[in-house]
Amino acid sequence: MLGMYPTFYVPYIGSAWVMGIIGVIHVVASHTSVGAAFLFAVLETKAYRDDQPEIMGFIKRYGVFLLVFSYIIGSITGPGIWYAITVASPRGVSGLIHNFVWVWAAEWVYFTVEVIGVYALVYLIGKVDRLTHLKLTWSFALASWATMLLIVGILSFMMWPGNEGWYLTGSTNDAFYNINFFAHLGVRTGSMFVMAAVVGFMVAAGIKDEDLKRGVIRVIAPIGLLGGLFSVMMFLYYLQTLPTNAKVMLQAYLIPAYANTMIGIFVATTAYLVFVWWKPHRLKLYIAVPMFLAIAVLGVWPEERMRESMRKPYVAGQYIYSNQVIARDVPGKSIRGEVDLIAEKGLLKLHPFIPDRLREVTDDNRLEVGELLAKIACANCHALEPGAPLRSIPDKLYGSPDKDMIAAFLRGPLKHGAAPYMPRIDLPDQEVDAIAAYLASVNAGTLEKSAASHTSAPITALIEREGK
Amino acid sequence: MDIGTVMNVMRDPAGIPAHPELFRILMIVTWVFHIAFVTLTLGAASLAIYAFWRRDTGPYWTRLSIAMTKVAKVGVSLLIVLGVAPLLFTQVIYDPQWYASNVLSAGWAIGFIFTLIIAYCLWFAFYFSNKEGAKRHIGIFAVIALLLFLLDGLIMHALSYQALLPGQWMDWYAPDGVVDTRGAYLHAIQWPRYFFIISLSVPAIGLYLLAYDDYLKSRPDLPEGYLGFVRPLGRKLGASGSLFALILFVWWQFDNPSDSNLIVQPGGWAVGAALLVLWFEVTFFADKLHGYLLLCGGLVVLLLLAIWREVVRATYLSAYGYSIVDQKINADWPSLALFFLTLAGVGGLVGGFYLSLLYRAGRVQGVYQADRSIAAMGTGAVAVLAVWIAVFFLYGIAIFIENTFAY
Repeated sequence: MLGMYPTFYVPYIGSAWVMGIIGVIHVVASHTSVGAAFLFAVLETKAYRDDQPEIMGFIKRYGVFLLVFSYIIGSITGPGIWYAITVASPRGVSGLIHNFVWVWAAEWVYFTVEVIGVYALVYLIGKVDRLTHLKLTWSFALASWATMLLIVGILSFMMWPGNEGWYLTGSTNDAFYNINFFAHLGVRTGSMFVMAAVVGFMVAAGIKDEDLKRGVIRVIAPIGLLGGLFSVMMFLYYLQTLPTNAKVMLQAYLIPAYANTMIGIFVATTAYLVFVWWKPHRLKLYIAVPMFLAIAVLGVWPEERMRESMRKPYVAGQYIYSNQVIARDVPGKSIRGEVDLIAEKGLLKLHPFIPDRLREVTDDNRLEVGELLAKIACANCHALEPGAPLRSIPDKLYGSPDKDMIAAFLRGPLKHGAAPYMPRIDLPDQEVDAIAAYLASVNAGTLEKSAASHTSAPITALIEREGK
Repeated sequence: MDIGTVMNVMRDPAGIPAHPELFRILMIVTWVFHIAFVTLTLGAASLAIYAFWRRDTGPYWTRLSIAMTKVAKVGVSLLIVLGVAPLLFTQVIYDPQWYASNVLSAGWAIGFIFTLIIAYCLWFAFYFSNKEGAKRHIGIFAVIALLLFLLDGLIMHALSYQALLPGQWMDWYAPDGVVDTRGAYLHAIQWPRYFFIISLSVPAIGLYLLAYDDYLKSRPDLPEGYLGFVRPLGRKLGASGSLFALILFVWWQFDNPSDSNLIVQPGGWAVGAALLVLWFEVTFFADKLHGYLLLCGGLVVLLLLAIWREVVRATYLSAYGYSIVDQKINADWPSLALFFLTLAGVGGLVGGFYLSLLYRAGRVQGVYQADRSIAAMGTGAVAVLAVWIAVFFLYGIAIFIENTFAY
């Protein structure tokens, strides 16, 4: 038996997009928060050194905005990502937790300090002496960045450890300081300044005092520009630290799909930052808000989507496939790969959450078994509906209703792991036959027509019951 | 398949990086702080709404409503962040149960996030509007927010409770043998347990008001009579809330399966006894004991509850042959040191600096001038963070270089 979990399936967008949507919201909110913390520290240092207490008014204003934006949305979507990956990839998140629990626990210490700190920072402006408040602000900035330092190690391990070290030792050190880590950290550290500057512009746009507005913008705009430049340079370094499967995915699918958008958003953001730096008085809310939304959505979504896609077919450390199967041995943790065992015995025998009536494939339940197996083995990365946005399998098969052709793909490239960004899925013949029969039926359109009036149970189960 | 065997196979193959009892202790202790802020927030939110609609009946209700709105606002932030730690440690030692339960109600687990965001935004809307002379209808924001907070509590309760009932997982996942992958239902709710934990919000806010009174005694700028209004209210809520919670607790005790023998275990009755002691203290000594001491009495109740909650979980799961003590251990000392040093250095010094500063600044009228100890803590906070970051990079670069040449 394998330690697999029940499956959660979201039609059309898959659980992957649910995770992606929550993730993008969180990245925007959290990066803004960390970047803004440094902007506050720089601005407050200027206010202290040059005796410009009016700058503190801007910090308070931005801080209150941050409380709502980052510490409601950001702090809830943080655990939200956990919930989303828990239901989408329970074994994936479990693998990460069991490798990095102490790192996550250290990050939690920082989170707690950060949440107390943001309230202290905002509400103690003008209530404590200026030097003490400056110490508070700098410590808040450093603590905020520390949360990023800790989470990036885990995120970059999800891509891959980069060498055999961790597989042999099982040490968190080797997993955390992986080949991808410093490059990834650089990308996020640079981009947090861009995000904080862009959000800061929204706050600055509402300042009535033109001198204050100009003074603040002329501090945060160059920081945003330098952050952006640094982020781009580190992104180019980051690309050199990727595994082969990621590079193939990047060249074959992601660059054609996202390159123009990403270059466009880079040019637009740079032009925006330069323009506002040059003409601060021209910054208005009706410019700042749409620019923020454009950069947040068009900039962050492709970046997060690319990172998630490039990781395929793995979900963590190149040892857990996205479909929850352990892909290889990890001697340092006494972990055994499961692919060969599945090839020998099949998912129907080994998966604990298969109803007894479906453990044997029969003429009556073939389509139902095929649907369930497709959800278990494929649906973490693929939608099962034609025309669906999440790498629809029917679309990938060009809508072919030819069961033999589909089975040939399953018994060929997929069985041998020959597609570089696909897991090796090697199943016994009867399971291949069931999946092929199901996908052929989807493509033939016979399932949807028969079950159009039913929504609760699996479509195939309804058809087969009606058939009886 | 035998679900007990299944659960043991579902444990993460990587094992756990320290002794399971260490995780269990951390899970229990961190949950105490989480649930303290859950109950305080729900109590503060309820009182803020009640006071808001009683503004016309007395001079202090408006001030109290505004104050409690702020308490709930900060409370939600803290309950979220303090909830991360017990959730983390639960996933280490009870991973099969937690993940299975979440997947089986996945729609609700995701819904929890969005409803919490909506609720918190609504609470902020109430907070920004709740001023002198505020319009009555803004109270609707607060009511909807509170109802959503209660719903979120119910979702968390169900996810935790479903984790204790592995014998029913397959029936929920595949009723009549037909698999349902939508995660569309909450499958099990133990109402007495849910109501009991929610009811603790009444004594929680009562005890908070008693401590609030003692904290603000040094503030001459408060209207005369305000604290004299707050303290009796705190006493009333603390005493009646303790008794009310005790009744619900007894209901929960008798609602557990009779073959579990939980009813005869002393741990459960210790929670009941602590509630009774709390009622006695608040009823007869509220004016003699310092509010902070009474607040500590409340924390003792929560600590006993946290331990009892773990006893209940272990008892339910032992029936299936599941125990955390036989976990595979792959010890990882460097990352363990990272956590405990961060907890002591950053949590202690930086967190201590923030809390001390907030505490002292709140007790003075006008600008607080840091004394030597607070000033030193501030310098220490920046220094400890700078050192932590420097060590983080130096240590990381050394490992990075070593691995580059070794593999």
